Amino acid sequence: MEAKPEEKAEIEAPEIEYVSYGGEHHLPLIMNLVDQELSEPYSIFTYRYFVYLWPQLSFLAFHKGKCVGTVVCKMGEHRNTFRGYIAMLVVIKPYRGRGIATELVTRSIRMMMESGCEEVTLEAEVTNKGALALYGRLGFIRAKRLFHYYLNGVDAFRLKLLFPPPRQVL
Amino acid sequence: MADKPVYEEASIDGQPPKLASIPASDTTVWADASPLLQAACAGLRDGELIHGDNFNLFAAMSALEIMDPKMDSGIVCTYYSIDEAIENGAAPIPISLDSTIDVRCTIDIMDHLLACEAAWHKGHSLAQTVFSCIYLLRLDRTAPHALLHSYCRIIRATCKAVVSVVSDARTHEEEDLFTMTYGLPLNGDGDDKCLSILNAVEETISRQLRACKATSSKRRLPEDLEPLQSNPNLEEGFCKALLCRLRFRKHFFHVLSCMKRPQGRGLESARKHIASCLTELESILKSADFLRSCFDESCEGDIDDKTTASGFEPIGFDAMLNSRLSAPTPPRAIKILSWKKAVEYFVKLLHDLDVICSYSLDPHLESLLRFVVQFQKSQPDLVARSHLQLLLVQDGKLYGRDPFFAVINKAAALPEATKNHDIQKNESFLQLGMLVMNLLKILCTNAAWQRRKLGKFLQDWRVIYVQLELAFRNEYGEVSSSSNDENTCMKIFQHILLWVEEQTYWIAFRFLILGFELELYSTGEYCMVYWYLYAVLIKLTEKTHLMMAVSHDNAKRKGKKKKDSPKDLARESRIPPAVLFLQCYICLAEGLSMMLAALRNEIPVFHSPSPFNTEHEKFVQHFELLQRACIPDHVSYPSYKESTTHARFSTLAMYNYFKDAQRIAKEVKSSFSNDPERLAELRKLEQVAEHNSVAQNVICRLGALDPSLKVSFEFSHHPFFATVVVKRS
Repeated sequence: MEAKPEEKAEIEAPEIEYVSYGGEHHLPLIMNLVDQELSEPYSIFTYRYFVYLWPQLSFLAFHKGKCVGTVVCKMGEHRNTFRGYIAMLVVIKPYRGRGIATELVTRSIRMMMESGCEEVTLEAEVTNKGALALYGRLGFIRAKRLFHYYLNGVDAFRLKLLFPPPRQVL
Repeated sequence: MADKPVYEEASIDGQPPKLASIPASDTTVWADASPLLQAACAGLRDGELIHGDNFNLFAAMSALEIMDPKMDSGIVCTYYSIDEAIENGAAPIPISLDSTIDVRCTIDIMDHLLACEAAWHKGHSLAQTVFSCIYLLRLDRTAPHALLHSYCRIIRATCKAVVSVVSDARTHEEEDLFTMTYGLPLNGDGDDKCLSILNAVEETISRQLRACKATSSKRRLPEDLEPLQSNPNLEEGFCKALLCRLRFRKHFFHVLSCMKRPQGRGLESARKHIASCLTELESILKSADFLRSCFDESCEGDIDDKTTASGFEPIGFDAMLNSRLSAPTPPRAIKILSWKKAVEYFVKLLHDLDVICSYSLDPHLESLLRFVVQFQKSQPDLVARSHLQLLLVQDGKLYGRDPFFAVINKAAALPEATKNHDIQKNESFLQLGMLVMNLLKILCTNAAWQRRKLGKFLQDWRVIYVQLELAFRNEYGEVSSSSNDENTCMKIFQHILLWVEEQTYWIAFRFLILGFELELYSTGEYCMVYWYLYAVLIKLTEKTHLMMAVSHDNAKRKGKKKKDSPKDLARESRIPPAVLFLQCYICLAEGLSMMLAALRNEIPVFHSPSPFNTEHEKFVQHFELLQRACIPDHVSYPSYKESTTHARFSTLAMYNYFKDAQRIAKEVKSSFSNDPERLAELRKLEQVAEHNSVAQNVICRLGALDPSLKVSFEFSHHPFFATVVVKRS
């Protein structure tokens, strides 16, 4: 949902630790990050829905013990396709522009691919240049434009990544 | 509920009794549930969840946190109910005992309502906008205040009329917030008399204006008229400010009524009322200076952000009173348009409606389609688009007047006589009529929705073609026609089949180019998009050319059986201008596609593979709907690769498609001297061709050699043909 390249924190890439969702102790970290950065009021149940049913698809990024980014996803059958969905992606401001969001999303997508997903989808504001660039580099196309999708009147793109068909095992 | 407030018993912690806004009744009693809730909280550990048959994690997401203002729409903000708000003086009648202030406040309410109305049109709910007005929610109590009462009535009647138009169009797409009116008092007894009520008030104020002008020129007045308000210096200004606002409402209501008349019968009258509306809006804008200066107190904040001309906050509005009428979660707080922006919105709306009212109701489908496409370029809003749609499709006929088979008959260049042929009762022809009707409706929707619908529509058009073709073969096979009627039927089929193909490719063309307008393509995808566009244009041009040849034959046969003069023969062998026009498109599409292919093949930075998929997947995704409908046939990712894999700067240098485009555009301009829209388009095409031709030369000469060359694409000259910009970084 957002990953704007901005002022950079002084960190070296190897200093970022990426961790798969490990349990209840991670939940408040995710919630704080998302509550901080997004205006959507998610109740705790929304978070639980995602991390309980698909813990392997959520990842956290730590720097020196501090949680600086997270991605929350799901996957499931949707109209005869097995599809992944990226629900939330947040990296705190000082850590943006360092590829952390890309790494978080990449890990999640790889997991989706390995789990048999045929495609991955999400929505992003048409004005969110950072997110559009990030997902574009990963192979997403802008499949649709959704008029006035957000309550502030901003349109959204539905982004979709289609995986190549799995190679036949002979 | 009891009329008088009830004092509840002292609560558990010994606080003094509070006024209960929901009194207990005979069968209910208030009890403090805090201890129970606390015990429940202690009963579950972190991470535990109560399971139920109908309560899973997905269902749990709809949970609300009570008293969280972002989630709890039942939360009381200021007042529990409209009645409580009124009891507490939120919407006083009269607004002020000082008549001067009362008048100014009335004008503020009128202005704020206009701003609310514009916000509603722009996509917010009626409940949060126009019906945030407490006076409107209890219109009957405004009866003693003639000015406010008449204004509220006509606003209510206007909103009802607009909701009706948009609902009837039934393609309000994602904008379904617009027609949500449940729980709102939109239907009023006696609203059909709103105009006469308004006229009476207008008349009174006109007389008051005349009276104060007479007083100032010291002429004697015959009437014994009470002035509008108590300050004689402000009387004229206030009268004028009110009159233009009342008159705007009157004329706007007339516009809606006239445009509602069937078969476009009211369009000319509507235009007159539109002109009056625009005049009154100008007067409304001018009144701002007076309204801002008539009081000593100045208002805080940026005047341009205000929802009233005077800059003062309006009395009698509370958007939260209706929050329970909205969805379970409370609506996000919205920003009402500023008064200035609201006026601008209405000016634009009126201009868009005027374009619709000026339309000649051309029975030629091709002209109509061009009109609709042109109209959409000004990005009209929902209300204007709904009006257009209702004008075009009424009672299952074009303009409520022409049966669709007749329209198709004409579009397919069939003789006038065949429009009444029985064949139209054939199932396939009936379905074709429906498709044309739906096409018109779709073309009136917003671009994002339109493109999605057009994409799905392609399949329907393909299917109808196959059906018609099958029916044709079944009836006539390879038999050479014998009877006259069989001849006619064959001809109908042949023409219509050809026409259906032309229309299908036109829809495909529109589907592809809308992607540019909606910014759906990234630069890395332009190559395949222009390539596919080229493929579609080739077929569209072919069918258009065939269609023209067939209609020319028809015209010839209808005309006198003169021997063809050499001039006639020469004219026949010339390519029709409409086809040349399309060929110009083809050259640009091909040119851009090849240039992009060469750039991708020669310069590494242009080709950035993604970690999870390849260009093939993107091709499949972008063109899935076209491919599924086989539009065009024999076009696929492998054929795309084959066409573009060998493109290099050296091959590019061998042929300049842009120069061709330039030449064609220049040549064909004279044929469209009476068509300003096409002339404008040709000029744009020329500019793109010229710029790209130069860019191509630069790239070919320097591309591979100069790594500092930066190539980018802008839509500065044309909405879907990119202008190539070459710079040194």
